[in-house]
Amino acid sequence: MALARRDIVQIAGLISPAYLWLTAAVFLPLSAMLYFSFLSSAPFDGSAPVFSLEHYQAFLDRPLYRGLLWKSIQLGLVVTVICVLVGFPCAWVLAKMIRGRWREALFLLVILPFWTNSLVRVFSWAILLRGNGILERGLDAVLPFDVSLNLMFSYPAVVIGLVHSYLPYVILTTYLSLQALDDSLIEAARSLGARWGTILWRIILPLAAPGIIAGAVLVFVPVVGSVLEPRILGGRAAGTFYGTVIEDQFTAVFNWPLGAALSFILLAVVLACLALTAPMLRKAQT
Amino acid sequence: MIYRQLALTTALVALTTPALADQIRVLNWNGYGTDEDWAIAAFAEATGVTVVHDYFNSEQELLTKLRTNPGAYDVVMINSAFTPQAREEGLIQPVDTSALANFADLAPNMATNADLTHEGAVYGVPWTWGLTALAVNADAFDDLPTSMEVLWDPDLAGRISIRDDALEAVQLAALATGQDINAIEDMDAVVERLAALMPQITTFWSSENDWNQFLAAGDFVVGSYWSGSAERAMGMGLPVAFVVPEEGAIGWLDGLSVATGSGNVEAAHAFIDWMIDPDFYVRWAEAGAPASANAAAAASLPEDSFNRAVLGDPEVVARVQFMQPVSDEDRRVYLELWQDLKAQ
Amino acid sequence: MSVIAGRVFLGAVLVFLYLPIAVMALMSFNASPFYALPFEFSTTWYTRLAGNAEMQAAAARSLIIASATALIATALGTAAAIALWRFEFPGKRVLQLLLFPPIAIPWLITGTAMLIFFFSVGIGRGTPALILGHVALAIPYVIVVVAARLRTFDPVLEEAARSLGAGAWTVTRRITLPWIAPGIVAGALFAFAVSFDQFVVSYFLATPGDTTLPVLIYTAIRKGFTPEINAVSTLIILASMLLMFLVSRVFRFGGER
Repeated sequence: MALARRDIVQIAGLISPAYLWLTAAVFLPLSAMLYFSFLSSAPFDGSAPVFSLEHYQAFLDRPLYRGLLWKSIQLGLVVTVICVLVGFPCAWVLAKMIRGRWREALFLLVILPFWTNSLVRVFSWAILLRGNGILERGLDAVLPFDVSLNLMFSYPAVVIGLVHSYLPYVILTTYLSLQALDDSLIEAARSLGARWGTILWRIILPLAAPGIIAGAVLVFVPVVGSVLEPRILGGRAAGTFYGTVIEDQFTAVFNWPLGAALSFILLAVVLACLALTAPMLRKAQT
Repeated sequence: MIYRQLALTTALVALTTPALADQIRVLNWNGYGTDEDWAIAAFAEATGVTVVHDYFNSEQELLTKLRTNPGAYDVVMINSAFTPQAREEGLIQPVDTSALANFADLAPNMATNADLTHEGAVYGVPWTWGLTALAVNADAFDDLPTSMEVLWDPDLAGRISIRDDALEAVQLAALATGQDINAIEDMDAVVERLAALMPQITTFWSSENDWNQFLAAGDFVVGSYWSGSAERAMGMGLPVAFVVPEEGAIGWLDGLSVATGSGNVEAAHAFIDWMIDPDFYVRWAEAGAPASANAAAAASLPEDSFNRAVLGDPEVVARVQFMQPVSDEDRRVYLELWQDLKAQ
Repeated sequence: MSVIAGRVFLGAVLVFLYLPIAVMALMSFNASPFYALPFEFSTTWYTRLAGNAEMQAAAARSLIIASATALIATALGTAAAIALWRFEFPGKRVLQLLLFPPIAIPWLITGTAMLIFFFSVGIGRGTPALILGHVALAIPYVIVVVAARLRTFDPVLEEAARSLGAGAWTVTRRITLPWIAPGIVAGALFAFAVSFDQFVVSYFLATPGDTTLPVLIYTAIRKGFTPEINAVSTLIILASMLLMFLVSRVFRFGGER
């Protein structure tokens, strides 16, 4: 399909502001990092830059990096799946069971936790989750028997913290799709005798897919590189992930090239994950 | 290429944003003396120079900020183990000690510290020093521990914390195995001790905030800690006792330097002099501060103060091993073994 | 799912979302500077906050920067999302893929990269640099969210309007934008959040002395948080709630039909 001249002007007019901005503020700086990742050391001591693939080689040579990346991807999957399983019904209730002004209010209520500082949020979770913390004391006061609940410094604590941080994405993007879904479609299917399971699987999910997928992507991609929740809530047992190892290259040692190389490997792997699931997802949408 | 570009930028930035004549910019840890409100207010009143702060959260970041923002800072606080590197990279300039009235009062062994001086010139003015040793929840012990072996005490499994820092972990293990922290020969012993330590640890800490909150909540009862921070925690009412184990402790010395490209060298010197003044130190120490490198300042503390009673004890001082610069290569080796241990 | 069960479920999720926020608010009234239990009521932290000009200024600066970011990123992101949805053109896939680096690469790396780059081209640090950086980080979120909403929109509607003689701008303004309004609102709220809670990148880009609230909080961790931070966070969340309540009374953006 050849594009009309007028269309080209329109495309350029609509797209270039956003992408020029991204280029100036993100793509060019990150290109410098990409360039660093191919040097043997960061060029700040005045020496001539030496081209090298050693940092990409390091990823292949050290099982630690691969192991941690895999662990981080698993964490991303777990958090994403929980967010979708919890977020989809929430979005459904919001879109189909709440009417009137309440809906706007709830829509905003879902997003508001996002506006609080993430460090404050994570430390609040620590106060809740630790042994003899608020959650244990609260449950002890309500329940007749003694509760012993110490989730702090564990994998579940990291998952809870991350689900809390990212759940609003899924709820809202799924809501955006579900709200557009015409109720009459469902009614028609029901009058034709379709069961709920069938309606959910054949009508609702395919139409809600764009929202669910967008939400899932916005959860999965950043969670794989997450640092804050693991460091504070994970403790020794669950505090080391791929993102924390990248950070160490900038804070513990001056090894930007390795940190940058590990980051771009992360980006490539995340994109590959999305590409692998894309055919499946596209099928779900049709 | 980038380097040349940076140099060019420096010139550009220097042209477009001249530092205010009556302002200096200080780069330090947050809440580490130079940014005490009362001190900078008094300094502004005395000299007409206002002090603006920028902070770093790791020494690597300190170097990054100096490298990438040339000309942006006047005074920088640098751990003596990093001063030689900053000097070699041309990030700091020699200090004119004749402009510092208090320089003569500095403890002689610190004023001539090999890491802070080079070819007779002073690149870092010794400011404070302290120890990295152990601090414990005093309520959890009938008798305070005296040995580092408490870290490996099976009864305390899951109630130990150390800082999430490869270098510190390696140096602590070196102390525990009776080695020189600046020349570790038996690395296998260090790794073995650290591997045995891992199951003992509940979490790593990375800031004073973590440490105090975690200890107050009972998350751990023994942790590595800095002397000044331990004192501050005691001052705030936490049941903390600072322990300098018989195996020794890691000593560190922090210096104040003048950044290369400082637009206000004179005021920078005045501020450094202000910071090493006993009057500043004594007031700072009331709220909990590291030990002063100024002998006159240290002597003017009350007899029973933490810094005099604990750090002033000659027997303690004899056990301290002061940290020296660590090569990038060693840092990487330590980090790799530390990451391997943590990921297990 | 019955309506009652559904509402109970949504309620439970809201409780989960607000649990740590309630703790945050509770701790702002707790006397212990270490957030230690048992709870002991005190208004010290609010009194201290009232006298903390630096924190107030930082909070105000953060609000301004986040509002500017939300406004700019939403406008730019929505325009790009519409073009990506309306047209097929060569390079479109690449443009879509390019949305991921800012989300996937850890902020510390992006922030460090911005610090060196902005300095080498003379932008330096300060509020313009902060807005430049924040908008760039927020744009991908806006595009992804608005695009999700656009996919529910039937292009036939646009074609119909065009065949009736409406110009591209009229079609966009009268047909497309109203339909995707909920997506735009959600995108703007996300963009605001990306900026308002951004401490890593801001940390590198804020001018020494003129810092933002998240950076202030982030650097305070070295010495120790005080519940003053909780106090300011609690006030902000209450103010946001009030504002949002009013907004939800006045505007309809939930896409009610």
